[in-house]
Amino acid sequence: MNHLIDNLGGIEAFGIFSICLFVLVFTVSMALAFCLKKPFLKTMSRLPLEDEPSQAENSNTHPL
Amino acid sequence: MPKPEQRLQQGRANAVETFKYDNRIVRAFAIATVIWGIVGMTAGLLCAVQLFFPGANLDLQFVTFGRLRPVHTNAVIFAFVGNGMFMGIYYSLQRLCKARLFSDKLSWLHFWGWNAIIVSAAITLPLGFTTSKEYAELEWPIKIAIAVIWVAFTINLLGTIVKRREKHIYVAIWFYIATALTVAILHIVNGLEVPVTMWKGYSIYAGVQDALVQWWYGHNAVAFFLTTPYLGLMYYYLPKAANRPIFSYRLSIIHFWALIFIYIWAGPHHLLYTALPDWAQSLGMVFSIMLIAPSWGGMLNGLLTLRGAWDKVREDPVLKFMVAAVTAYGMATLEGPALAIKTVNSLSHYTDWTIAHVHTGALGWNGLLTFSVLYWLFPRLYNTKLWSVKLANYHFWIALLGMVFYVIPMYIAGITEGMMWKQFTKEGFLQYPNFLETVRQIIPFYQLRAVGGTLYIFGVWLMAYNLWRTARAGVFVPEEQVQAVSYRSQDAHAEPAFTHRWLESKPMLLTGGALIAVLIGGMIEIIPMIVVKENVPTISSVKPYTPLELLGRDIYIREGCLACHSQMIRPFRSETERYGEYSKAGEFVYDHPFLWGSKRIGPDLHRVGGKYPDAWHYNHLDDPRSTSPGSIMPRYLWLLTQQLDTSSLPARISALRRVGVPYAPGYESKALADLNQQAARVVANLKTGQVNARPDREVIAVIAYLQRLGTDIKLAPKATAEAATGLRAAN
Repeated sequence: MNHLIDNLGGIEAFGIFSICLFVLVFTVSMALAFCLKKPFLKTMSRLPLEDEPSQAENSNTHPL
Repeated sequence: MPKPEQRLQQGRANAVETFKYDNRIVRAFAIATVIWGIVGMTAGLLCAVQLFFPGANLDLQFVTFGRLRPVHTNAVIFAFVGNGMFMGIYYSLQRLCKARLFSDKLSWLHFWGWNAIIVSAAITLPLGFTTSKEYAELEWPIKIAIAVIWVAFTINLLGTIVKRREKHIYVAIWFYIATALTVAILHIVNGLEVPVTMWKGYSIYAGVQDALVQWWYGHNAVAFFLTTPYLGLMYYYLPKAANRPIFSYRLSIIHFWALIFIYIWAGPHHLLYTALPDWAQSLGMVFSIMLIAPSWGGMLNGLLTLRGAWDKVREDPVLKFMVAAVTAYGMATLEGPALAIKTVNSLSHYTDWTIAHVHTGALGWNGLLTFSVLYWLFPRLYNTKLWSVKLANYHFWIALLGMVFYVIPMYIAGITEGMMWKQFTKEGFLQYPNFLETVRQIIPFYQLRAVGGTLYIFGVWLMAYNLWRTARAGVFVPEEQVQAVSYRSQDAHAEPAFTHRWLESKPMLLTGGALIAVLIGGMIEIIPMIVVKENVPTISSVKPYTPLELLGRDIYIREGCLACHSQMIRPFRSETERYGEYSKAGEFVYDHPFLWGSKRIGPDLHRVGGKYPDAWHYNHLDDPRSTSPGSIMPRYLWLLTQQLDTSSLPARISALRRVGVPYAPGYESKALADLNQQAARVVANLKTGQVNARPDREVIAVIAYLQRLGTDIKLAPKATAEAATGLRAAN
């Protein structure tokens, strides 16, 4: 069966096309990531911590 | 006159909105998580015990291994992890969006609907209502219900994002969006069936196509149900627990896009050395190996978030669980690609190595991360502190010990059986021609696995007690009142277009981008599938099942026989020597669904037809140990006594014709007569083996089906058979 598939027009290109597509997606996401400015990155990375009280109040452990 | 900045600040002060986060729905999902975790893992333990003590099912059909295994897998994946995912998402989504959930009604429809589906699964699977497709066993009415409830969840998710007060969408939410979209696509495409009765349907796909769609689904169910939502939870709860921002936001961007793009391609690694085209197998293998990069990027991003906070890990059980979970994720995502390498897979496939691998992920990544989120959430939901840190620490070490006792024996068992199956003597004969020899060898490891599972479940009970005491010690906070600046009054400064910052402020564009990323891989896999459908050469001697065989096949599906027996002989000499001619794609063209299986607890059955007399099968189903001393197969006594239900036979014939099986028009009216004739022949055969049986019992149909398996190709001219496949026997 795979022999028949191989003989279908341009089927080998699927593999090459797939890898090229991934390289493109990876490169674009890298470029987008590295174009971001540091203040924005800092703000975004701290987003989960914004609704949290201070560290002293944040203890989730019961003192033994 | 005030300056623009002052005007903006004044405007913000005026636009501060007061609203409430909904904690009730979070608590509901949290409680369901704990309950279903115990149920699902206990079902798994019962399965594990039956593998060294077959009588543990008490000869009851409803709790026999084949029927109980999907209860375990569905309960753990969709009930335990599913509820855990929704718990974590609904808590974090509100806070990251600074908005209450889009609709309380949708939230509760989601909760009750999802859990009603789980209850229906817990009832129907033991009754034998199953499609047989792994992790997609639930029959069509429940599948429709899942689609409806999933849409409710997706609307609630996207609606909350749209009404958010936070301009930019945090990375955790991207993972939630990818989960919602992809699971919907996978579920619908794989679940397409033609209904026969209320609790029976036939997959619209057959054989190779069905296998491709199923494992495209199966692999990505792991990717987008067990992985991406939990990565979202990691990106929210790990920084919270460590009180540190995520190590690299840049890395999270690359992690997200690379992961969702690659994951969808890797499904074919479940079908290596089967009838799948070589190039598709290679593509699946290459993309699986490439998965290491984004997976480890994510793992390192998680672990490095703890830089400078490792001292906390020593004391805080929440962080302990998280670190162990992320480490297990790293181990599983390194092992997964290794198992996708064809040479490794030739040894590992069908063995307990796969079971070890999935449990590193399930017990380690999903289990431990769920526990950490529960330990973190409960004190906050009840405005108190965790009742006992000491008990949580005990839980951690017991869970870890349970994992060790589970996973290591399964690695040893997997490699042992894989090597024994392939071992030849110097003279060129199979060293262990009797499959049972390889089973007996690994029984002690099955026993150790049950010890590991018991420890792990004991730990969950400790957690349940600890959380219950925590809840009792505090006061539940049903809603949290908070304030935030409205979205409209925020800095209206337009983001520079086509940057990631811009994308993060455009939820629909982000959703569209994620959809395209996952669709590309799916499309490129599905297009060849359609091509294959057009081009799989039908082997002239392969015919549709007779009515009796068809009903026997449906009983085989009902009993979950494929949980232990594969029907796919790979082109290895070790397999063709043991089982016979390797399996050809053209042999499965009338198989709705395919029954290739993924694990060999017993031998492959694809060429079992004609191997033994009918009476052997009868005695074997009556008491497997009477024909195969030392067998761990359960007794199927009920097959000997239950009457064969032929009432739905015309509907079954008709439904199969609709999906392409060439039964002659009007055959429905003749089918019963044919069935009776064949049943009489089986009964006559049984008499020659000193077995007296009635022709209207279920066992007769099962025997007819087993005797048909793999025999069609023997009637085909050799040249035709070889032309039907491009597979080459490989040693």
